[in-house]
Amino acid sequence: MSDRNVLLKEINEVSFFLDDLRLYLDTHPLDINALNLYQEKHEKRLELLKQYSQDFEPLTCHCINLDSNGSSAADTCYPGQKHWSWSDGPIPWDTAANNSSLLQGGV
Amino acid sequence: MWSYEKRLQFPVHITSTCPKTASLIISQFGGPDGELSASMRYLSQRYTMPCKETGGLLTDIGTEELAHLEMICAIIYQLTKNMNVEQAKACGFDAYYIDHTAGLWPTAASGVPFNSCEFQSKGDAIADLTEDLAAEQKARATYDNLIRMIDDPDVRKPLKFLRAREIVHFQRFGEALEKIKDSLDEKNFYYFNPEFDKQFVKR
Repeated sequence: MSDRNVLLKEINEVSFFLDDLRLYLDTHPLDINALNLYQEKHEKRLELLKQYSQDFEPLTCHCINLDSNGSSAADTCYPGQKHWSWSDGPIPWDTAANNSSLLQGGV
Repeated sequence: MWSYEKRLQFPVHITSTCPKTASLIISQFGGPDGELSASMRYLSQRYTMPCKETGGLLTDIGTEELAHLEMICAIIYQLTKNMNVEQAKACGFDAYYIDHTAGLWPTAASGVPFNSCEFQSKGDAIADLTEDLAAEQKARATYDNLIRMIDDPDVRKPLKFLRAREIVHFQRFGEALEKIKDSLDEKNFYYFNPEFDKQFVKR
């Protein structure tokens, strides 16, 4: 199983790459390099989201994995049972969901 | 339509309780240049844009502003979730505490509640995009003020991220305004409303 914080950091980074590139492409719709990059990062993001939903819980309602019943009691109220996993895991606005010790750069 | 993603756009991890800092940052939730005002401005203006790419850009930036709103609320939540009454009193958070306890409610730091008069949707692409450019600069200036006043590195990190996004949005709105002007008669760019006086828009 992957490390939750490391995988989430990768998802945050590739997602932000796409957030920024999306706005660029909105005003530069014919930039071939940017289009290729978008494709590449988009595929990477889907792969990571799928992995996160298998190892932990779904981050979007498009990658809900109903067979991810291996979660520990720390992540779900229903360990070992087939259940609706959308509310598993930490609340996104809580410190537990946001490990910033992996962040680089000055403050 | 929208669908939710269970993560913040940029992590917020604050360990020190500080209602004082929360009472300043709340302006970027419900203040005149805050994220609620930004998202509602762009998501309202987009419907009547004469160029569909610009409507699309307003949708995408308005959506990102909703993610920024969530980050700002996460900062306020984490700064106040463990506060006690003495801290609220000592930090000037007492009036807010009486009305909202530690609940999130959109207001300016100065105490003026959020209202839609903080932004415009004029139904005129030149007027609206020019407002959007100014809005991004005003939000950037507010983040500058917050970053000058706040020392906690855990709070500064997400604020610096948000400040950088205002600069990117300004750039994109500038490009969108140029694109709208390309569809107009260059002799009288500013003489009419490109959303309403359609006879002047180039086919």
